Amino acid sequence: MTAMISLLFWLAIIPFCIGLIPANFISPERRSPGLVILSGYFVIWAGFELAAVPMVLWVEYDNFKAASAVFTVLTILGAAAGIWLLYRNGKAGRPGLVTGKMRSGSKEESDTHVGQISGLKVRMTAFGKWLLHAAGIEWLLFFILLGFQLYKAVAFASFDGDDAYYVVESLIAQEAGVMYRILPLTGGSTGLDIRHALAVFPMWVAFVSVRAGVHATIVSHVVMPLVLIPLTYLLYDQIGCALFTKASSRPVFLIMMALFQIFGNVSIYTTETFFLTRTWQGKAVAGSLVIPAVLWLFLLLCGGEKKKNEDRRGLWILFVCVQMTAGICSSIAVFLVSVLTAITAFVLAFVRRDLKLPVKFGAACIPNMVYIAVYVFMAYSYLL
Amino acid sequence: MWGIFLESVVIFKNYIGWHENHFLAGLYIFALLYLWLTEKDKAKRAVFVYVPTLLLLMFFCPLFRKVFVRIMEDSETYYRLLWLLQMSIVSAYAMIRLMGKHRRIGLAVVCLIIAACGDYVYDSEHISRAENAYHLPQEAVDIVDMIEPEEGRITVLVPADLIYYIRQYSTDIELPYGREMLIERWDYYHAMYEAMEKAEVIDTPVFVELTRSYPCAYVVLKEDRKIAEPLTDYGFSVYGKVGEFVIYEDMTLQ
Repeated sequence: MTAMISLLFWLAIIPFCIGLIPANFISPERRSPGLVILSGYFVIWAGFELAAVPMVLWVEYDNFKAASAVFTVLTILGAAAGIWLLYRNGKAGRPGLVTGKMRSGSKEESDTHVGQISGLKVRMTAFGKWLLHAAGIEWLLFFILLGFQLYKAVAFASFDGDDAYYVVESLIAQEAGVMYRILPLTGGSTGLDIRHALAVFPMWVAFVSVRAGVHATIVSHVVMPLVLIPLTYLLYDQIGCALFTKASSRPVFLIMMALFQIFGNVSIYTTETFFLTRTWQGKAVAGSLVIPAVLWLFLLLCGGEKKKNEDRRGLWILFVCVQMTAGICSSIAVFLVSVLTAITAFVLAFVRRDLKLPVKFGAACIPNMVYIAVYVFMAYSYLL
Repeated sequence: MWGIFLESVVIFKNYIGWHENHFLAGLYIFALLYLWLTEKDKAKRAVFVYVPTLLLLMFFCPLFRKVFVRIMEDSETYYRLLWLLQMSIVSAYAMIRLMGKHRRIGLAVVCLIIAACGDYVYDSEHISRAENAYHLPQEAVDIVDMIEPEEGRITVLVPADLIYYIRQYSTDIELPYGREMLIERWDYYHAMYEAMEKAEVIDTPVFVELTRSYPCAYVVLKEDRKIAEPLTDYGFSVYGKVGEFVIYEDMTLQ
């Protein structure tokens, strides 16, 4: 029971509270609970990179314990800041940070509203209409497909040889309190393997495991799919919102995305195969969540005309956090996301005749440039 | 350069599963062409048409592949450049545009096409019903539960079938060699692995000498593993049995 409460706290409440920070700097019409929780995760992962990577590089003993302590303080402060912004926003009577809507009207209004739709028959008729004529059936179908994937993730085990590295890294951090100083495959001590040591996603899994008091292998194989699969579909829903004006297209898009994941095992290399067979590994998160998030933010930041007084600062914060999340997923993901950002920024600059775009997006990639510089320095320092 | 280009073609074919008669990539190419012809929105055209086209050109460009391999010091992960295409998102977006007002019938047709052209992931030979909450083989869990020390760490020699799982359950168990020996293309040499897995019949004196050089507190062998002389003649005793695995304890280490 304590484990469940801890998991709920660290995987739902904390991300939600932290997600309120970027939401505060995003225009109200774009806000939604899905956006808040997605933003929370990207901010958390960016924060974890800041807390863990210096510890990996410069602290030899108990570096996981030190990183966990720093990260705990950062997340608690972040969550407190989010709650404070929510309170301040509500007090000032501004649109809500979670839904973007103004507070509902007076009691009388509410009573009238309830009066209008009261009665089981009326409600059933309204539900029937929604189901048949709006997108009710499509939403139902999507949730069946999502539930099916979650059931498969929990009830079935997926073998992947890389788990002998990544999952064991998480378990070593949980059991021994150190990061990347013990060989996961055999147990001997080792120097830093820089290619893997900067990609600290398994350490975030270990952090969740320690805080919840659950074995890291269970967290990797069971808890992570239950979190990351819905989170990925939340992102796809946000992409659907950015692509389609008709609300009925959203569930259709999600159904297709779910089917692409389920039938995307055309080879062992596709993002779809990674998504459902090794959900808990950083590279799967990079392919299914981080890269689509980059495209999503490009659509939000460069799609349509910017309305007067539209606040996009939160989207830029998110863009930086997504770039940093690539770093905790894998070092190759940093390279890939940087290539994607550079190409897309230059193409958009050309298409929109806006030469400032590459500069803006280039500035958002500074954390990745630092990451690559550290990687190159550490990888080739033996030449100095 | 031509050779490098052909390598990229092979990587692309392997990625899209063309050789196994999977044609989801065909749907993607169709979607890309459709968007080339019809997409008017500048940002969407840039993100879903121009960028993927440029990425595809880059993927097949030998010079780019050379740079990638040089920087990442790894040619095996080049296929991940194709992740940037996000084939599913582009295909789904194009299909919904193409459907127009025929939402439900269009959705049914596209779902059928996806199912027909793709491959059902849960049919994979690597997916099986979970035996426990760890999603590890129960035999691996039972063996570790039997031999795990209360304090400190021990080295244990296990067959290849268990190599992947033992340390996912407990890092107090160390192994003489790990998963790296099971990947043939890495082509590593390890004397203990040769004695344990490669020899048709285990040469007991040499094998025992090697296990004691670590020293391995326990040796786990499959019941039907051929061995020249029983380990019990060399100071080992049978500690227990789990499924098809027999656990031997080295009594000389007591």
